[in-house]
This record gives sequence, C-alpha cells and structure tokens, in this order.
Amino acid sequence: MRHARIVFDGRELDIDIDANDRITTSEGEVLDVALDSDQITWLPPVKAPGTIFALGINYADHATELAFEPPKEPLVFIKHANTLTGHKQVSYRPDGIEYQHYECELVAVIGKTGKNIKREDALDYVAGYTVCNDFAIRDYLENYYRPNLRVKSRDSLLPMGPWIVDTADIPNANALKLTTTVNGKLTQDGTTKDMIFDVPFVIEYLSKIMTLNPGDMICTGTPHGIVDCQPGDTIVCSIENVCSLETRMVSEQEYYGDKY
Amino acid sequence: MTANTLVNSKLVCVALNDKAQLAALDATFNDAPYKKPPTQPVLYYKPRNTWSVDGAEVEWAKDFDGNDVAAMAVGASLGVVIGKETCRVSAEDALNYVGGYTIVSDFSLPEESYYRPDIKGKCLDTSAPVGPEIVAADQIANPGTLSVSISVNGEQKSVFELANMERSVAELISTISRIMTLQPGEIIAVGFAGDRVAVAKGDKIEASIEGVGTLNNTLGGA
Repeated sequence: MRHARIVFDGRELDIDIDANDRITTSEGEVLDVALDSDQITWLPPVKAPGTIFALGINYADHATELAFEPPKEPLVFIKHANTLTGHKQVSYRPDGIEYQHYECELVAVIGKTGKNIKREDALDYVAGYTVCNDFAIRDYLENYYRPNLRVKSRDSLLPMGPWIVDTADIPNANALKLTTTVNGKLTQDGTTKDMIFDVPFVIEYLSKIMTLNPGDMICTGTPHGIVDCQPGDTIVCSIENVCSLETRMVSEQEYYGDKY
Repeated sequence: MTANTLVNSKLVCVALNDKAQLAALDATFNDAPYKKPPTQPVLYYKPRNTWSVDGAEVEWAKDFDGNDVAAMAVGASLGVVIGKETCRVSAEDALNYVGGYTIVSDFSLPEESYYRPDIKGKCLDTSAPVGPEIVAADQIANPGTLSVSISVNGEQKSVFELANMERSVAELISTISRIMTLQPGEIIAVGFAGDRVAVAKGDKIEASIEGVGTLNNTLGGA
C-alpha cells in the first residue's frame, strides 16, 4: 500500500493508494480521480514532519565525483520542514549563483520511537520509503558544519513524495534503480546497491546518539551524476518500485513573489 | 522531546559568534579543514529530541560502546523567540518580528571541530533546556546590551556580554530569514561564550540573563 497527502476538491486529505491505483481517503471515501490528474495537489507525504536527517557523500562514486574520500562513518546533517514541498511543486534557484544541483535520494520514514536500535531490528522502526530531491547550492558551501544551513536549509529545496510505500512492499531497499531526468534527458543513472551506509546501519548509528521518533526522516544520499539546474527546468527523480518525484525550478523572484 | 517545551518546530543555534573566540581561532581558520575564515553565521540545529525545560535533568551522554562519555560542556545563549512569520526581513525591521526572549542552554560534548555537523556532540536527548519562560519582547529594550552568565553548583563560571557578539540579534534574524522562513515560536540561540563550561555528573547549572530569568538544570548520571 502507498500513502500520501493531497489537496483535492478544496479538501486536504490523507489517502491510501492500492495496487490498482485506486485512491481511498482515511474516511473510507473512494476518489474517482487518476493519479496523474492535475486536479490533485500533492503535499509532502509525511503528515507531521519531525527531524529530517540527510546523508552526505553516501555513495562511493559520488564521493569521487566531489573529490572526497568515502567517509568512515555517516556524514549526517539536519533539515527541517521549511525545506519540504510536494510532487509537481516548485523549487527555487537563488539569484546570482553558479551551480545548483538535484540529489535524488531514497528516504526512510520513521514510524516508531526508538533508541539504541539494533541493525537487525531497524526496519521495524521504518514506516515506509519515499523519494526526495535534496537540492544543493555549491556556491554557498563553507567549511563550517559543512554542508552548512545556507546550502541545505532553504525553503522549498527538499521536494518529497509523491507517496510513502510500506516497508513490507520493498523487500530490499538496496537493490533499486535510481534515476534522474532533467527536461526528459537522463542525467543520473544509479542504484541504491551502491549506498555506503544503508538504512539499518544509519538507524543503529543515529539511535545510539539520540531517540528517533515517528515523522523523522532519513534521506540516504545520492549517487554519481549531478548537473546544474536552471529556472524552467523540470527535474524528475525516480526510484524503482517507490515513486517518481517531479519538480519545476523557478527563479527566486517567482518563488517569493511579494516577499521578494 | 519534552511535551511542554517552549520551542515550536525549530531551534537554530549560532556558533562562533563570540568576537574573542573568533580572534583566538583566527590563525586556524586558514588551515585545513577550514581553509578560509567563515563569511556567514555558523549555524546548527538542536533537533526536537534535545528540547527540554527549566528544572529538568539533562542526561549524561553515552558513547558508542554504551559507556558514559568522559566529558560534557554547556553554553548558554539568549533565545530569540519569533513572534510572526519572518521571511526575508531587513536588519532594520528584524526586531519587529521578535515575540519574546528566553534562555537556551546547550549541553553537548566538548566542541572540538566546526568542520562537519556535530550530530554526535549536539543532538543528545534532553540537551537543550529552554526557559524558564518567554519574556515579551517589549520588556527588553535592547537585547544587545544583555549579558549571559553560567553558574555551576553556585559558582559563576562564565559571563558573556552580548555586546561582544560578532553579529547582532537583528543581523542574525535578517540573515537567517533569507535562508529559511521562520515561524512563530521558532527560537534562535544567538550566541554563546566561546569558552564552553565543563560540567560533571550531578552538577547544578544556572544560566541567567537579567530581565529574562534563570534556567536551572541538573546533570544526570550521578
């Protein structure tokens, strides 16, 4: 089963999507609408977002691409809900920068509170998986708490969704094809098998430091194949058997409107 | 997370905002891994599992083998509580967006490096008491003239004059609001004395700002 949050017909709804793409609301109402309909506005799929953990350089080939040694322990940074947006929504490119790239990532959504979780028990704490695009702006990187908040905590730069797939429906999260297209052209072609630290490892690691709670998310990093994105570009991040996440880039002025 | 935390959704902390600390570290900033001095505020989050309250016990941290860590430290900061949605505001207008002030204590492992996000050091459960209450913004004419003190078991260990901050409260609100839209109840811990105070198991910690209050906490593990 898949789970999402949408606005449909002026109503904000929690929905389940079955194997035949039939949509049922949490009230039991069946919606007569196709998944690709423009009548659906997709919200970020986690209803009460908690702490968002993201991993840097967690694919060996991406580490090489960025001229880093693969890390000996996870490089983790934190993001908050201001960065989230949904499927088929917009993300902005700040004015006056040279290089902003997508990062297609598998996301594990925590479903149960836990501390000191053993690796072999870790998936019991995962409600499901989704896809995110953890945009980065390389111009803003500084070597202080890197990747710093100016790079990774900006409004709208963590599209996520469209839905969460139950953990049980993904027997092996480290055998999934991961691709990104920009304006229909394939720019990233990898597999989650190349992840350095997998979800159970990261859950054990983080939960030795702190308590994990429902609504927390772990974004697991991106493989090789990043390119600059410009306003007007449409970026689709896909992970096999999970979902495809579409984002349109806009300028900073278009995004902020009156607040620009 | 403590149910009655004063924090709503986000606690942003500013590191390296003590002029004396910046001067002391200046020689290292051009070396690896930093290579250049910071050009922007150095920010980190205390996530929701860290949030706690006045009077609460702060857990003594464990290492990865499950043993008590050898050392912990505390810093204290003025906590600026956002009063209304704050998006891309100027420094001139920034204080109009403040709803109130409080105190943030940041318990952590000793700060050793600022290169990578310090998840192991900073994200410990219950390590960010905030309180004792939120004082309305109109009670504090100029936050830049306040001073933050820390006492351990009744003995004063640290005094930090906010006049010695590299970046002012207004400047920080403006800069941060151009990274992220801030929401009511989100809190910015604007600056800590560069010298964090070493603490031991069972210590009683008082963080005080005149006109804002005193935040009392006890270290666990004793």
